[in-house]
Amino acid sequence: MPANSHTARRSLAPPRVKRDWTPYWFAAPVAIYLLLFQGYPLAQELYLSFTSTSLLSPDQHAYVGLQNYIDLVTQDEFRQVLLITAVYTVVCVVLAIGLGLGAALLLDAPFRGRGLARALVTIPWAAPPVAVALIFIWIYNGQYGVFNHLLAACGWTGGMESWLDGPRLALPAVLLTTVWQIFPFASVVILAALQGVSSELREAAVIDGADRLSVFRAVVWPTIQPSVALLSLFLTIWSLRRFDLIWLMTQGGPIGSTNTLVIELYRRAFVYRDLGQGAAVGMVGLSIALVVTVFYFRYNQRTERAKGQR
Amino acid sequence: MSTLSWSHGLRVSLVLALLGVAAFPIYWMLVTSLTSSPDLFAAKPHLLPDLAQWPVYGHAFSTTAVAIWLKNSAIVAFGTAALSIALAIFPAYVLSRYRLPAVAVLGVALFVTQMLPEAMLVVPLYAIFGELGLLNSLGGLILANTAFTVPVITLILKGAVDGVPIDVEEAACIDGCSRLGIVLTVVLPLVAPSLAAAAVIAFFHGWNEYVFAQTLISDQGLQTASVGLAGFVGELSTPMHTVMAIGLMYTLPAVIFYLFVQRYVVSGMTAGSVKG
Amino acid sequence: MASISLQGVTKIFGGKKAANQISFDVADREFLVLLGPSGCGKSTLLRMLAGLEQVSSGEIHVGARRVDNLPPSDRDMAFVFQSYALYPHMTVRRNISFPLIMREHRWWFHLPLVGGFAKRRIEKSPAVRELVARTARTLALTDMLDQYPRTLSGGQRQRVALGRAMVRQPDVFLMDEPLSNLDAKLRTSMRAEIIKLHREVGGTFVYVTHDQIEAMTMGTRIALMRDGVVQQFGTPREIYADPANTFVARFIGTPPMNLIEARLEPQRGLLVGQSLLPLPAHLAALGSQAGDVLLGVRPHTLQLGQAGLAGKVALVEHVGAESIVSVQLEQARTAHHDDGGSGSDVMVVVPGYSELRIGQAVHLALELSEAVLFDRGGQRLRTPALSLAA
Repeated sequence: MPANSHTARRSLAPPRVKRDWTPYWFAAPVAIYLLLFQGYPLAQELYLSFTSTSLLSPDQHAYVGLQNYIDLVTQDEFRQVLLITAVYTVVCVVLAIGLGLGAALLLDAPFRGRGLARALVTIPWAAPPVAVALIFIWIYNGQYGVFNHLLAACGWTGGMESWLDGPRLALPAVLLTTVWQIFPFASVVILAALQGVSSELREAAVIDGADRLSVFRAVVWPTIQPSVALLSLFLTIWSLRRFDLIWLMTQGGPIGSTNTLVIELYRRAFVYRDLGQGAAVGMVGLSIALVVTVFYFRYNQRTERAKGQR
Repeated sequence: MSTLSWSHGLRVSLVLALLGVAAFPIYWMLVTSLTSSPDLFAAKPHLLPDLAQWPVYGHAFSTTAVAIWLKNSAIVAFGTAALSIALAIFPAYVLSRYRLPAVAVLGVALFVTQMLPEAMLVVPLYAIFGELGLLNSLGGLILANTAFTVPVITLILKGAVDGVPIDVEEAACIDGCSRLGIVLTVVLPLVAPSLAAAAVIAFFHGWNEYVFAQTLISDQGLQTASVGLAGFVGELSTPMHTVMAIGLMYTLPAVIFYLFVQRYVVSGMTAGSVKG
Repeated sequence: MASISLQGVTKIFGGKKAANQISFDVADREFLVLLGPSGCGKSTLLRMLAGLEQVSSGEIHVGARRVDNLPPSDRDMAFVFQSYALYPHMTVRRNISFPLIMREHRWWFHLPLVGGFAKRRIEKSPAVRELVARTARTLALTDMLDQYPRTLSGGQRQRVALGRAMVRQPDVFLMDEPLSNLDAKLRTSMRAEIIKLHREVGGTFVYVTHDQIEAMTMGTRIALMRDGVVQQFGTPREIYADPANTFVARFIGTPPMNLIEARLEPQRGLLVGQSLLPLPAHLAALGSQAGDVLLGVRPHTLQLGQAGLAGKVALVEHVGAESIVSVQLEQARTAHHDDGGSGSDVMVVVPGYSELRIGQAVHLALELSEAVLFDRGGQRLRTPALSLAA
């Protein structure tokens, strides 16, 4: 198996005589490390998903085949979990990108203090999720929380709601907190992408008579669209993974209204003490993430090919 | 292009509104920490901090273990940063410079590990740590965190190494340097900004991390701030202003530090993984 | 009517005047070239004409209208960028028809289905299709209408950019160094195409370049600029033969005009080194003046032989049909201080392959029938002459 690295422009030529073992030596520590701390646990989880194991006696595995998975598919509550995960993910990504795009466009044009504004807008992203959960619990408090007071000041006539305690309101509240925390990341990425927009192209569109929105659609959006697509992928995968915020604020409740896949996984493993079922839920979540990634790369390949050919 | 003055004024007010939304919860942490208990539960919320309440911070140190928590968090954060960088630089180099099939596999594996939730791996990890005797130790926590940051750090550093022209390395090769030497003495200094950005990202992961810190450590003296703070959720005996004071002490270092380095983090990241 | 009038146009960038009190008139259907070295303000001036930059002070009129307070799309001008600025995600056809669609654009065109439908209807309307087809025919783009810019060569992209400018049938065409990104051969053919275009379309062209050959071959008139000020505004012939100052004299023409230090002796002639030369007929009116001057003679008008000013050959460059000989005069000095290369030698162009050697002694015969005189400050001495400080 020849090392064909010399054909690529950026690769190093292999030494003339023997096979270059350097890359393998270099990669080995990390490979071993990840195998040990991620690969093996993952394999273990996969195995667990086919067993019935209790948290209290984790060494005793009773093999049950696909039973855990069948249980999941037949349970209504699991379908609700999937639905909530879908809603949570889609709304998070759409709102975060929307808000991030708006923020990026605002912060793109020059004005005094722009550098400071760009730095300050990243505050939510920098704050630790545990602290964020804590403060938002207080903000959403039904009786004393400032959120209700702010809404009242804006004309909300609904009275004092207990946001995290109501099954209808908990998910929106959690969504709001999540979007608050992640939109700075989106705006930073989009802002970077906006720098790549050619100002001459913008000027050409203006001379052609395009209004602001037309300039955006004809010049800006096509340029930043690949970055936004990749951003969506990352945000989607992270939303499927997000645990700390939701768990600390609602633990998945009330009545499972904020129960995403990861929360459900944790509940089944640590609350219901069924490690096998928890593992099965985890596997389902991982599969969804993999499918999304595959779709992204397929879509990416297709658009790249279309652009290149025509 | 022309900026009419009303459009500029509109932009400025929108930016201010945006910043207000971004900063408000943190500000609210400050206000809550500096509000007396009766005022906290009054009919109308007090929007300004009551500066006379500043002793609450000293009080927090004497009534809770926040000093220990913050110390532990700092240890874990620095350890995660250091270990992540040390581990990730080599695979980053390999991913950038080599085109072997095994390398592609490594790249894919790193990407896939980004999808794994900590909550899912915590159970087997607990078992493994138990066998390795790593439970209840900050070192163990660092090891666990690093496993999760290495993929991201590697991708960032790969992007940085991509930017180093190969001629520099070839010159060193001719001068008779070993590959290891080249990486350490030639490549490393040239990617220093991205290295710093990556270190910051790993640092924050270690500082913010909750699930592992909660599960893998039961010794109260080794609790990190994330766990300590989370312990206040639902608990009623500690007054809210004290809790928020602790929350702010946990949050401010992260926010302030990040504000200073965010420009470099952005360029380090967008140079590598995110740009299409 | 698309005549352009600039009055006192000034642009200040952070304390520096990129354009300083520019005033001139461009006739309808003229091909005006804004020429000058980088940083002279020609692009800034063009962009002010287009509306891409605000005028700091002064006025711009097109025909009877004042335009400097209008946005770019209301000025009825087309702009061709150096980098072509084609929309990469649109076909050539869509690129060309874009301005036409934008002209009819209404706010509700942004709505999802309805807007797309309305835009397509305009694009497919017979008027638009005819206009696009005609433009494509004129620029030989018909076969490429459904391609994307990234598959086209530089020259083809430039033609698409021209097409997008033309299709609106504007009164004024503004071009910002459109040929700079092309290789030399392509530049020559595109030059001819643009001249042809000007003839066919009949609009007023304002063309920015730093290349004097482009300026001389394409322009009906040239505005030569330096540091934000117009040094001379005139036809190519005027600028070549009748330069207003030494900058203009040495900017136009390759190799540049020689400037030899001399002295006007009243009633006697021109003293160059030790030789006293009689003033030619066209400079006779200066005969009563006295003072130090600079004698401007073009390399093609000089001859090397047995008689004239003594000197030594410093360098011989063979360029095929001619040779450029640099001569160091023994008793006269040159004043070529404002450019980097030519140093203090007089440059002479001799036909054919010169056999002269470096160091060889020669004599420079000065033929003054096309010579011009400047004062030591660089200003042209014109007849009737102003009095000189001796």
